[in-house]
Amino acid sequence: MSDLLKYMVENASIILNYTETHFSLIFSAVIISLLLWIPVGILISRNEKLAGIVLGIANTIFCIPSLALFAVFVTVPFLGLGRSSALLALVLYAMMPMVINVYQGIKIVDKNVIEAAKGMGMNSGQILKEIQFPLAVPVMFAGVRITVVMSTGIAAIAAYIGERNLGRLITEGLTRNNIEMILTGAILVALIAIFFDTVLGAFEKMLVPKGLKIRRSN
Amino acid sequence: MIELHDVTKIYDGQTVPAVEDLTLKIEEGETCVFVGPSGCGKSTILRMINRMIEQTSGDVLIDGKDVRETDPNQLRMSIGYVIQQIGLLPHRTVAENIGIVPRLHGWGKDRVAARVDELLELMGLDPEETRTKFPAQLSGGQMQRVGVARAMAVDPPVMLMDEPFGAVDPIVRSRLQDEFLRLQREMRKTICFVTHDINEAIKMGDTIAIFTKGRLVQHGTPQEILSHPKNEFVKDFIGQDRVVKMLTLFQVHNIARPNPCIIRENELPDIGRKMQQEQAPVIFLVDDSGKPCGLITAEDLERETANGAGTERLKELAYSKRGAFIGGDLLLNDALSYMLEWDTDYLGVMNGRGLAEVLSMADIRECACRKEGDQ
Ligand SMILES: Nc1ncnc2c1ncn2[C@@H]1O[C@H](COP(=O)(O)OP(=O)(O)O)[C@@H](O)[C@H]1O
Ligand SMILES: [Mg+2]
Repeated sequence: MSDLLKYMVENASIILNYTETHFSLIFSAVIISLLLWIPVGILISRNEKLAGIVLGIANTIFCIPSLALFAVFVTVPFLGLGRSSALLALVLYAMMPMVINVYQGIKIVDKNVIEAAKGMGMNSGQILKEIQFPLAVPVMFAGVRITVVMSTGIAAIAAYIGERNLGRLITEGLTRNNIEMILTGAILVALIAIFFDTVLGAFEKMLVPKGLKIRRSN
Repeated sequence: MIELHDVTKIYDGQTVPAVEDLTLKIEEGETCVFVGPSGCGKSTILRMINRMIEQTSGDVLIDGKDVRETDPNQLRMSIGYVIQQIGLLPHRTVAENIGIVPRLHGWGKDRVAARVDELLELMGLDPEETRTKFPAQLSGGQMQRVGVARAMAVDPPVMLMDEPFGAVDPIVRSRLQDEFLRLQREMRKTICFVTHDINEAIKMGDTIAIFTKGRLVQHGTPQEILSHPKNEFVKDFIGQDRVVKMLTLFQVHNIARPNPCIIRENELPDIGRKMQQEQAPVIFLVDDSGKPCGLITAEDLERETANGAGTERLKELAYSKRGAFIGGDLLLNDALSYMLEWDTDYLGVMNGRGLAEVLSMADIRECACRKEGDQ
C-alpha cells in the first residue's frame, strides 16, 4: 500500500498529465457523439425502416471488441496510430447507447399525448421541440451517462494505439511488470468511471420534468 | 355545419373499409352522437373531419368548404378535439395545457391567462388552485374537465369529442354530461360526439347516428330512434328497455299537471266532500307547516270509507306514501321508479318546499304511447 502511494507521489506530474489526456479524449468523444447521435436518434424516431437499419449497425459495432476495432483503424491510412483512431472508435461505440436512448426516449412518449397535440394543430416540429424532446431528455441523458462511463474504460485501451493516458500506466506496467504502476492506472480509471456515473446519475434525476416527478398529493 | 358525402376510408393494407359510403349532415349548433359497437368506425369518421387521416374517397365539408382546402394544422387549430385518453402534456401545467391552442393562434400572455381562468371557472375548477397543477396531480374527472377546457380554448365553432367522458366512473361521468349539456345549451356549437354507450347517446344527442361495421344504420333524433328503430340491430343495440329509455327524454314537469288537490290534517274529516268537489283522483296531505307528507287516492278513500275507516286510518294511509314526492327536473324513468318503489300511481311534484304539480302513472303511460305512436 505504501509502495503504491509512494509511486503515485513520485510520478504525480506524469499521472496528472495522463489523467488530463484521458479526460480530453472522453470529452471530445462525448461532444462529437452528442452532436452526431442525437440528430440521428431523432431522425430514426420518425422513420421506422431507417430505425431498423441504424439500430442494427449500432448493435453490430457495439459487439466488436474494442482492441480489434482499434487494431483495424490503425491499418487505415488516414487514421493510423493515435488520437483520430481512438476518437473514431469511441464515437462509434457511443452510437449504440446514445442513438437507442434518444430513439426510445422519443418513442416512449405517450401516443395519446402526441395524438392530442397533433389534433390541436401543433406541427411535427413543435411536437418534437415542445413535447417529445423535453419528455425524452431523461432517457437521452441516461444514454449520455452510459457513454461517458463506457468511454472511460475504452479510452484506457486506446493506450495500445499510442494514446498517452491512464491506460498507458496499465499497458506499460504490464510490460515492465510494475505492480504499483498497473494498480495506479486501474484504480484511477475505475474511480473516474464511478465518479462520472455518480455525478451524472444525480444530474439525470434533476432532468426529469417536474410534472413527471410529482405524484398526486391529494 | 358538417357534411360528409359518400365518404369511404380503407386503411392501408386492409380490404374491408373502416367507413363505407357515409353520407351525413350535422347542422350548425347540433350535437350529433356517433354510437355503435367498438371498431365500427366512429373514431375514423372524427379523424377524417379534422384531417388526422385522409378519406379514401368522398368529401368532407365544414360550412360548405372542403376540409382539404385548408392547411391541416390551421384546420385543427380551429376545431376542438377531445380524446378519451385526454392526452394532457404531463410536463406542462394545467394552464399551459389549456393555453396551447391560444398560443398557436399567437395570443398574448395576458389574454391566454385570462382565458385559462375563464375556462377553468366554466368547467367548475378553481383557477387559483388548479392552474399551476400538473396533470399527475388531478383526479380523473378533473383531467377530463381540463381536456374539454383545452379543446374549447379558442371557442371553436366545431368540436369533435371521442368518448370524452369514457374514462371516469359513472357518477363523475353523469355529472360531466350534465355540465356539458348546460354549457352546450348556451354555446350551441356544432359537435360530433362519439360514444359506445347508448344511454350517453340518448342523453347528449340532438341527433344520434348509429353505426355498425363502418356503415350508418340510422340517423335521427333520440325520439325517432327510440320510437322507430330501423331494424333488429338498432333494436338490439337500444336494448329491451326501449320504452323506459324513451322516458329519459322527458322531465317530470314536461307532463305533470298543475293544481294538485291539497288537504290539511285538521280538514281530514271533511276529505270526502273536498275530493268530490274538486273531482280529483288524488289528494295530498300537508302538515301544519305546509309540508306535504302523504297522499290518498279517490279509490282508496272510497274503499276505506265503505269499510268505515276513521280519520286516524286515513292519516295512516296517507303517511304510508310519504316518499311519493319528487322534483320537477327528474327524468320520467326515474319518476316511474319512484312510483314502483312507493307503490303508488301518483307522485307529488315539488317546487322548492311546496307542492306544485301532480304526476300520474296514466300520464307516463300516455306519454310513452304517444311518443311511440307519432311520426
Ligand atoms: N390506424 C389504423 N390502421 C389500420 N386500421 C385501423 C386504424 N385505425 C382503426 N383501424 C381499424 O378501423 C376500424 C374502425 O376503427 P375505429 O374508427 O377506431 O372504430 P371505433 O372508434 O368505432 O371503435 C377497426 O376495425 C380498426 O381496427
Ligand atoms: Mg374509437
